[in-house]
Amino acid sequence: MATGKTESFMERKRKLRQSFLSQFPGRLALARDLLAQLAPGDDHAERLKQLHLIFHTIKGSGASFGFESINAPARAAEQALRETLDSNGQVTAPLLDELTRRLDALAGLDLNLDTPNGHDHGPGFIIAPRQTSDAYPGERRQRLIYLCDDDPILVQELATQLSCFGYRVTPFVTLDALREAVAVEPPSTIIMDVIFPEGQHAGPAAIAELSTRLSQTIPTVFISSHDDFSARLRAVQVGGSAYCPKPVKAVEMAEILDQLTNRAPPEPFHILIVDDDPDMAQFHAMALEESGMIARVVTEPEQVPAVLESFDADLVLMDLYMPNCSGVELAQVLRQIPGYLSLPIIYVSSETNVDRQFKALEVGADGFLTKPLEPERLVTEVHLRAERMRTLRSLMIRDSLTGLFNHNTILQLLEVAMASGRRSQSPICLAMLDVDRFKTVNDTYGHPAGDQVLMALARTLRLRLREVDLVGRYGGEEFAVVLVGLDSEQAKGVIDSLRTSFAAVTFFADGIEFRCTFSAGVAGFPEFTNASALTEAADRALYRAKHAGRNRVEIAHEEPDTPSGINAVPDTHDSEGAGNGA
Amino acid sequence: MRILIVDDDPLAGEMTQAILEEAGHDCLFAANGLEALEHLADETPFELLVSDLHMPLLSGLELFREIREQGLDLPFVLLTGDDPEPLRAQTPGLAACLMKDDSLETDLPRLIAQL
Repeated sequence: MATGKTESFMERKRKLRQSFLSQFPGRLALARDLLAQLAPGDDHAERLKQLHLIFHTIKGSGASFGFESINAPARAAEQALRETLDSNGQVTAPLLDELTRRLDALAGLDLNLDTPNGHDHGPGFIIAPRQTSDAYPGERRQRLIYLCDDDPILVQELATQLSCFGYRVTPFVTLDALREAVAVEPPSTIIMDVIFPEGQHAGPAAIAELSTRLSQTIPTVFISSHDDFSARLRAVQVGGSAYCPKPVKAVEMAEILDQLTNRAPPEPFHILIVDDDPDMAQFHAMALEESGMIARVVTEPEQVPAVLESFDADLVLMDLYMPNCSGVELAQVLRQIPGYLSLPIIYVSSETNVDRQFKALEVGADGFLTKPLEPERLVTEVHLRAERMRTLRSLMIRDSLTGLFNHNTILQLLEVAMASGRRSQSPICLAMLDVDRFKTVNDTYGHPAGDQVLMALARTLRLRLREVDLVGRYGGEEFAVVLVGLDSEQAKGVIDSLRTSFAAVTFFADGIEFRCTFSAGVAGFPEFTNASALTEAADRALYRAKHAGRNRVEIAHEEPDTPSGINAVPDTHDSEGAGNGA
Repeated sequence: MRILIVDDDPLAGEMTQAILEEAGHDCLFAANGLEALEHLADETPFELLVSDLHMPLLSGLELFREIREQGLDLPFVLLTGDDPEPLRAQTPGLAACLMKDDSLETDLPRLIAQL
């Protein structure tokens, strides 16, 4: 096969022009965002400089790629910004007006790939506004995945393994074959190699081309043997959703695909709005709710701690100036309550003095939004921060290998579930699961294979159980599952069917196939009245299952196990020294 | 010729790279001035540097002064989106200062052939 330099210069230029065209609306949108953050009277040199750079770059690359009609509006905007920056840096209404007009002019250009030089002017169509990032692509098609890599062995292996996870994977070894297939039936996700014989970044380039042609983006996961920044950057630039360095683990890929073809839309963000002006508060609440978030308004700062106890806020939006208790003071109060140490707080105020803004942030707030506030901007800012906080929080409470709740969290959640079971007088079951002969798996096939088993079991549990059930990695190769509303017999039935499916999964390590099983013990509330009794009972039942030959589920009963014969002391718990750090 | 290209706009940079590779040169791309300085410390020396003028952090001119201060005397070609004339006059040490538009496709290889 040829080594990358087969592409002719003209072809390469054409592709670059195409990339420029596909990035152009994004660049304009960025400028528009920045522009929306400026108000007359501001002297926000940093933003002005950013805007200047955007127009400058648009002008420069527009010229490089022969789109002459870009020049005039971009140059005019650039110059206006330069003049402002060179004089006093004061934003004026005429400046904003001019920039807006220039942006509109740029957005209205009919840029066409096939008109090499000039003659591409005249407003023909308006470039469609970018979709907001939180719009879910609605219901996904079935789980059809296209996998494209020029390595036929890798393609075949990965496709086979992914099909074990319930995905319909069609493999391709050339970009052309993929292009054709996408034209016939677009998949729900594409898994794409970065390097092809056509070039170092031929994978991302093909995706860019596909999305311009389809006028929609197919979620793409890039895989590459190069884990360097430029390849990652290129992948992000063409809208890649994830990047996996090779060798690609099927389980990890399945995780990513699960997220992209997501089963259930994520829980909406909960936002608490604190403002003494009820109209303003309602206005903000409306904007947020319109975008799918859940907003709660409080007009008296002193009520905030009490409201937060029942309203699980992802973020607090607070007015800076309120009578009796200012936003700054309220932020300080919240920061002194341990549970709210990491709760994101954003001030909303017409304060434009940077020093005073900074002082207000010093007490531990996370951001500052200046009134008047465009609803779109409010939504974007809030969404961004709330999402980042959720990710951080999930890192704290989740086990890094399996993504399940960690030991402490699952125990806390068990307490909470039991409290609510007590209130509603409904049963709860705890099942303890332990992978059989896990140490042997690690010893025989290596730790990576062991990890694969743990991840696969974690995944089976999460996918097969209901949303209300809680799944945690209790330690090593032991998992804890809290089943809500089921009695022990029903729980045993559920776990038993999971056991059967898990036993049927084939794992691969260095080409060798193997299978794994697990044993489980189930204990139920109200039979066992508190969390520690329940855990102990489930553990005892698990030991019994192990002794009775493994690969089975046992139910714990009120009486402490009077051993029915052979072994009084459970001793063959498989976990000893198994590693795979929990 | 082994050439280092510096441009904060990856597309424009790749265009420059395409032009030079077409002319048979061996190119490396740096996305900003700092990255360029790192590459210049590579074991294999570069014979020419082609840099964009307007970049955040370190402008093309600053990069030029910096490498001269470090005692490197490789030829330096500056690309700009604006009128190159004042820059040429103002910065004598430059091998060339070229306008960044579609004339680059012919001007840049021709210039380098003459160096």
